[in-house]
Amino acid sequence: MSTDSVGIHTDSVPGVGPQPALSAELWQAFLAGDRRVCARLISKVENDPRSVPAIRERFAGRLGQAIRIGVTGPPGVGKSTLCSVIALGLAERQHRVGVIAVDPSSPFTGGAFMGDRVRMERFVGDDRIFMRSLASREGRGGLSPATPYVADVIEAFGMDRILIETVGVGQAELDVLNCADLVVLVLQPSTGDAIQSLKAGIMEAADLIVVNKSDLPGADTVLQSLRFVYSLGGAKARKAPPLLATSAQQTEGLDELVDTIERLATSLVESGRHRELRQARLVDEIRRGIQQELWERFLSQTEAESAIQKVAADLAESGGMAYDFVRAACSQVELRVREKRD
Amino acid sequence: MAQPITRPDSQAGDSDREFTTVSGRAVQPVYSRADVAPDDLGANLPLPGEFPYTRGIHPSMYRGKLWTMRQFAGMGTAAQTNERFRFLLERGQTGLSTAFDNPTLYGWDSDHPLAEGEVGRTGVAVDSLQDMERLFASIPLDRVSTSMTINAPAAWIFTMFLANAERRGIPFEKLRGTLQNDILKEYIAQKEWIFPPQPHMRLITDLVSFCAEHVPQWNTISISGYHIREAGATAAQELAFTLQDGFTYVEHALAAGMSIDDFAPRLSFFFNSHLDFFEEIAKLRAARRIWARHMKERFGAQNPRSWLCRFHVQTAGCSLTAQQPEVNIVRTAIEALAGVLGGCQSLHTNSMDEALALPSDKAVEIALRTQQVIAFESGVANVADPLGGSYFVERLTRDLEDEAEAYFAQIERMGGMIKAIEKGFPQQEITRSAYEYQRAVSEKRKIVVGVNEFANEDEQLHIPILEIDESVERDQLAALKTLRESRDNLAVSASLEALERAARGKENLIPSLLDCSRVYATEGEITRVLIDVFGEFREQAFF
Amino acid sequence: MSEHPIKVVVGKPGLDGHDRGAKVVARALVEAGMEVVYLGLRQTPESIVAAALEEDADVIGLSVLSGAHMTHFTRVRALMEENGLGDRLLTGGGIIPTKDQETLSKLGVGKLFGPGDDPNAIVGYIHEWMATHPRGDV
Repeated sequence: MSTDSVGIHTDSVPGVGPQPALSAELWQAFLAGDRRVCARLISKVENDPRSVPAIRERFAGRLGQAIRIGVTGPPGVGKSTLCSVIALGLAERQHRVGVIAVDPSSPFTGGAFMGDRVRMERFVGDDRIFMRSLASREGRGGLSPATPYVADVIEAFGMDRILIETVGVGQAELDVLNCADLVVLVLQPSTGDAIQSLKAGIMEAADLIVVNKSDLPGADTVLQSLRFVYSLGGAKARKAPPLLATSAQQTEGLDELVDTIERLATSLVESGRHRELRQARLVDEIRRGIQQELWERFLSQTEAESAIQKVAADLAESGGMAYDFVRAACSQVELRVREKRD
Repeated sequence: MAQPITRPDSQAGDSDREFTTVSGRAVQPVYSRADVAPDDLGANLPLPGEFPYTRGIHPSMYRGKLWTMRQFAGMGTAAQTNERFRFLLERGQTGLSTAFDNPTLYGWDSDHPLAEGEVGRTGVAVDSLQDMERLFASIPLDRVSTSMTINAPAAWIFTMFLANAERRGIPFEKLRGTLQNDILKEYIAQKEWIFPPQPHMRLITDLVSFCAEHVPQWNTISISGYHIREAGATAAQELAFTLQDGFTYVEHALAAGMSIDDFAPRLSFFFNSHLDFFEEIAKLRAARRIWARHMKERFGAQNPRSWLCRFHVQTAGCSLTAQQPEVNIVRTAIEALAGVLGGCQSLHTNSMDEALALPSDKAVEIALRTQQVIAFESGVANVADPLGGSYFVERLTRDLEDEAEAYFAQIERMGGMIKAIEKGFPQQEITRSAYEYQRAVSEKRKIVVGVNEFANEDEQLHIPILEIDESVERDQLAALKTLRESRDNLAVSASLEALERAARGKENLIPSLLDCSRVYATEGEITRVLIDVFGEFREQAFF
Repeated sequence: MSEHPIKVVVGKPGLDGHDRGAKVVARALVEAGMEVVYLGLRQTPESIVAAALEEDADVIGLSVLSGAHMTHFTRVRALMEENGLGDRLLTGGGIIPTKDQETLSKLGVGKLFGPGDDPNAIVGYIHEWMATHPRGDV
């Protein structure tokens, strides 16, 4: 897809449907650093999933370099404040920084209260940083479903470090593992007892663990428990990630935090791991894209939805199993694909 | 919203209606002896003037001395507010109460970039000793007591006040008045802070200690529930958080080495008086009983004056409506009456137009007259605690005391008030109450006359509205500029450097602040020096 | 444009700390299904508009009880125009005399609310405004 095409762009992938992409004028403004256009594009990918392919195709050649840093941890540990510190620290180290702060949507009203800017007000007017609050909407794993695409927009806009702060409701915040290159897990002294019960996935995946509010009593205990957890052997045993103690309020350990993140980012790139991660994500994206595509074709070509409903109702009545129907439906699709090819 | 009046108030068997106080407390149809613990009609209820002072701090209450009628005033320049002060004194007001504008309350000069549009708007602009001189020109500070509602920069506004008295030859020992100086409720409710809690606590402790020695008649902290209530707290939350703030100041002063009876008699309180008549009276009675008990039994105060919870009351600004503002006169009268029956030492009555603008002369005069009617016509001031022994009032007093004690215990478990504030506990409790109240109003479970019921669709405003002229800001900026050019700037720099050294050390900061004030260092210059040493506090928004 | 929650930036410009109204309204907007970005206290017109721009907010809501409403609303409105946000709604509340509301209305400021107004009236107003002011697509 060339970047100079004007106006409507018809997507080459059938099934996804043609979507208007941005006009050349807006695309130029985006490339020139117009924050308003960047913000509008984020809304577009957030509000209209069908627009995502067309927009992302514009980003060809502009993605893949930025380091995406997930910041996760239980509520109240000071994630926003630390994100603010990290963002400013990275900006001072000559990076252009995107910050995505995700807050929970109410499952009942769909509304969301997003208060992260209160703790991030120092960014305002800082051209080196672009901050965006996202409501988690249907996302249940600590992020909004649109988060990776929002990060793409921000990276394409020219940011080379992107912080992604998760909702922080504590449980099952594993989405961040799929879209971050580095995962920073933030804890505080009073979470000491909770370490054992923390979602295993996060403990394995954390590239850096920060014990914030280290001026409160109990910080040493948490650090000790962490060391103990990582010292345990076993099939999934791994080396402990760096453990840092910070106090955002007392401004302690903050330089070291930013330095450590930078060190991890550098070694991520130098070791080739960053490329591997990107490749793995592409594999995942291709797989999911095919699944989605086939599913949509299946739905559009066979009136499957009503058939599924009907069969399910029958099976519920008869106590039968669904395998026969699934096999039959799939072979029907297969036949149609063959017919087309022939 | 001009709907037909459908409230079946007069019908029997109206079981759907909620009978709750403005704080959401359910009340019974009637109270009897069975609803009151025997002690609350006995040991807890000695005569007024007797420990634990449930019924009042003086044996004869207002027969001996009426409450001080103290209207909060301040707008525009110091000279304009001085005029308003004299207007009020001429009409029989007996004490002064100064409202500062927002830049002053935040410790900033009128020429600070964020002060634009705010100078003199909601209070008087004070930048230096020069403004303090104009503010109190020809007011006999040795005879009229003066209250100053200021918190974060209270210490250096007070040293400007002291420097002014000094220049006029009035000895510090003769000065009487009150400094609000209550930073904890700023973090909780009013949000006008400068530094993190610890340096503020140091400044407060320094001031308490300085006054104990040099300004003995000055009330050093006015521990304030008013703003907590205005931010949406219930009566019980106002009571609990305010007294817990008080205990925290006491603990800090003790930790700084003072002895309780040296400073406790100069602590005073400031409560809200909301519309729910009996609950408010009960709250004020409970406050006296709780404070007396804790001071005597927990902190070991020996001097009976240390046990007294003396307080100023202001009627509830948040109960005023912009709709049919004249009706606010009635609301204020009911609230003021509750303050008097609750045994206040001084009282401010809000003006009817305060949901619309700063009060006009006319509105202020009516508000003051309201107090005078209560004092001189209603007869309620003739008898001390006339509601003492009422089953309902005694039961409410007991319930509020118990609820406050439950909050104290909860806050202690969090590690004390400062920790609780850092966690956002009181803030969240208040925000929740505010929202619940708003829901009750939206759903018409609570009726606000003229707002969600009995509204007048064709209402025309018939009262004058005070306007602050834009020239105020220009004049103030010009005066500040002239001051900076004409004062002894070498002396200013030297005093500010000395202040910085003192702030980095451990010594009492009041003498250094007084030195800065004497040479016309501005409020903002002093603030800047202290921020460099102490850092700035940043908002943590709690919901 | 697909249906999506209305995004509102809520802030308090200037120096007043009375955030009861802002918080109560913010919560009512959330309960009405809106996405509220709360900026907090001591905001400047510049910081509010910069945030609204990055957030691509549909609505900016200001709460001013300091008497400085003329300064703040006028500045925010001007900055919105300057930054290409002229098609968004600027609304809010506080202690704002009718005369001043009329002046601000002429500058393109939306309806302003005062003490006693029901937060649901603000919700209704925003819904109504959004329905009658469709925004252009990218």
